[in-house]
Amino acid sequence: MIINGVAIDDTFAEAFGMRATRILITALDLKWAYHAARAATGFATSVIGCGCEAGLERELSADETPDGRPGVSVLLFAVSGKELAKQVERRVGQCVLTAPTSAVFSGIEGEPINLGKNLRFFGDGYQNSKVIGGRRYWRIPVMDGEFLCEETTGMVRAVGGGNFLVLARGPAEALAACEAAIAAMSKVPGVIMPFPGGVVRSGSKVGSKYKRLTASTNDPFCPTLRGAVKSELSPDVGAVLEIVIDGLTDTGVRNAMRAGIDAACKIGSAGGVLRISAGNYGGKLGQFHFRLHEIVK
Amino acid sequence: MSALTLTLRALPPHSVDLSPLIPDRLAGLSRAAIENIAVGSRGLQLSDLFAVSGDDAQQMIICNSSERLTHIGSGMTQGTITVEGDCGAYGGLGMRGGRIVVTGNAGAFAGSGMSAGGLEIRGNAGDFLGGALPGDKQGMRGGIIVVHGNAGDRAADRMRRGLILVGGNAGAYCGSRMLAGTVLVSGHVGVMPGFALRRGTLLLAQRPPELPVTFQDSGEHALLFLTLLERELRRESERFARFLPLGNRVRRYCGDLANSGTGEILVLD
Repeated sequence: MIINGVAIDDTFAEAFGMRATRILITALDLKWAYHAARAATGFATSVIGCGCEAGLERELSADETPDGRPGVSVLLFAVSGKELAKQVERRVGQCVLTAPTSAVFSGIEGEPINLGKNLRFFGDGYQNSKVIGGRRYWRIPVMDGEFLCEETTGMVRAVGGGNFLVLARGPAEALAACEAAIAAMSKVPGVIMPFPGGVVRSGSKVGSKYKRLTASTNDPFCPTLRGAVKSELSPDVGAVLEIVIDGLTDTGVRNAMRAGIDAACKIGSAGGVLRISAGNYGGKLGQFHFRLHEIVK
Repeated sequence: MSALTLTLRALPPHSVDLSPLIPDRLAGLSRAAIENIAVGSRGLQLSDLFAVSGDDAQQMIICNSSERLTHIGSGMTQGTITVEGDCGAYGGLGMRGGRIVVTGNAGAFAGSGMSAGGLEIRGNAGDFLGGALPGDKQGMRGGIIVVHGNAGDRAADRMRRGLILVGGNAGAYCGSRMLAGTVLVSGHVGVMPGFALRRGTLLLAQRPPELPVTFQDSGEHALLFLTLLERELRRESERFARFLPLGNRVRRYCGDLANSGTGEILVLD
């Protein structure tokens, strides 16, 4: 399959079941909501080393938030419910509670996990709760007034690790295509691209020659190793970048992949984009398979 | 189906406990079975007191109601009871769901021990609105009470959870011994509001001439939870119109400092 001069590999992205939640962070203005949300989603690119994958889903206007202030919707994904609950509590406690004027609310229905339930103890006995509309909120006194947080948020089953690879003539061309892809994918609800700027250059394979490493560089797609390994790259490919997608549903991941691949293909071979491929483990590890030809047809 | 309507034939000479007449217990009963239900403690049957019409027990109406009819809706979990007229003491006692609307006045202990549902009193409420019965450790434990008129003394005494909205004035010792929950009074409150309050919020539209000395001024603040409360009330804006807009700027008085001091009286700006 070729679109605008870009070859679409007959392969699939392999993704995994995860646990996810959505939290809504608000503040006096959007600037401070972003400060809190970016801190809370920092160092959350991969569950391999960060405990969770997290990112900003979208900006929220004042009439979309529970407290009538501007905010940001944040998605967090982890491999287990226990780990997700741990990460949510730790990140909200260290990055949202601490951010001036912030408040945090659940943004999704699901199995309840702690949001402010334990953070309330920071109030040292001066905390108060209010049940409003059947939901419990904690009012924790802090130095700029009160930190308001909902007691729990909902945990749902989700999909992590959807991906596609952009193979281009060089790093600049690959990056331009990925930036266009990320801009298009950011409009899809219920997904995040957790890596820096949504793009990852260090695609990995399972295992390593070093026993203690569970993952190592994806050598068949490293252009500098062409000739040294069984490369997947033709001589004209100078750079490969990957976009990883986590979504609340497989449909969301599929829609995001379609939007991203379409955007990259629009640039086409004239812009140096040569091939679109995807990462998988032979289909044996992940329960979700996203076939590129089905997605772009 | 039409609403099950009980029309009081004549004013009873004594108070009558109507706690058996709740939608939960009447659902599925035939007209004859309903008419034979024993009410009160003096061997009366329902048909001795009321003319019965209609058949939908989920939408009950009590017509010509009087303050001598007590315990209306006591322990109900579902349906609606509309009381046309006054109701006696203990209306909505321990209710766990559903809705009661009283078009007239309600007696003492209305909504005492209720844990869910809604109680709306379009006239005035007696003493101990949402308060604890003597010997009980807690009063209201959830749900919403709306009083369009005035509330008597000791409203929300030992209240544990929920929301009480009083459109008029409240009597003395409003919010006494409150454990938690929120009480909003649009008019004046009597002496010693928040006496021995442990936690919870007494939200007053007008600053009382005098507060107990065990409440201390914490200054003016914008409290976000009030924004959430206002938004919740706006969901049923017709029902709560008289309490809106609420705003979130208040002067906070913390107390009762003689009783842990973690509660508050908030006076709306």
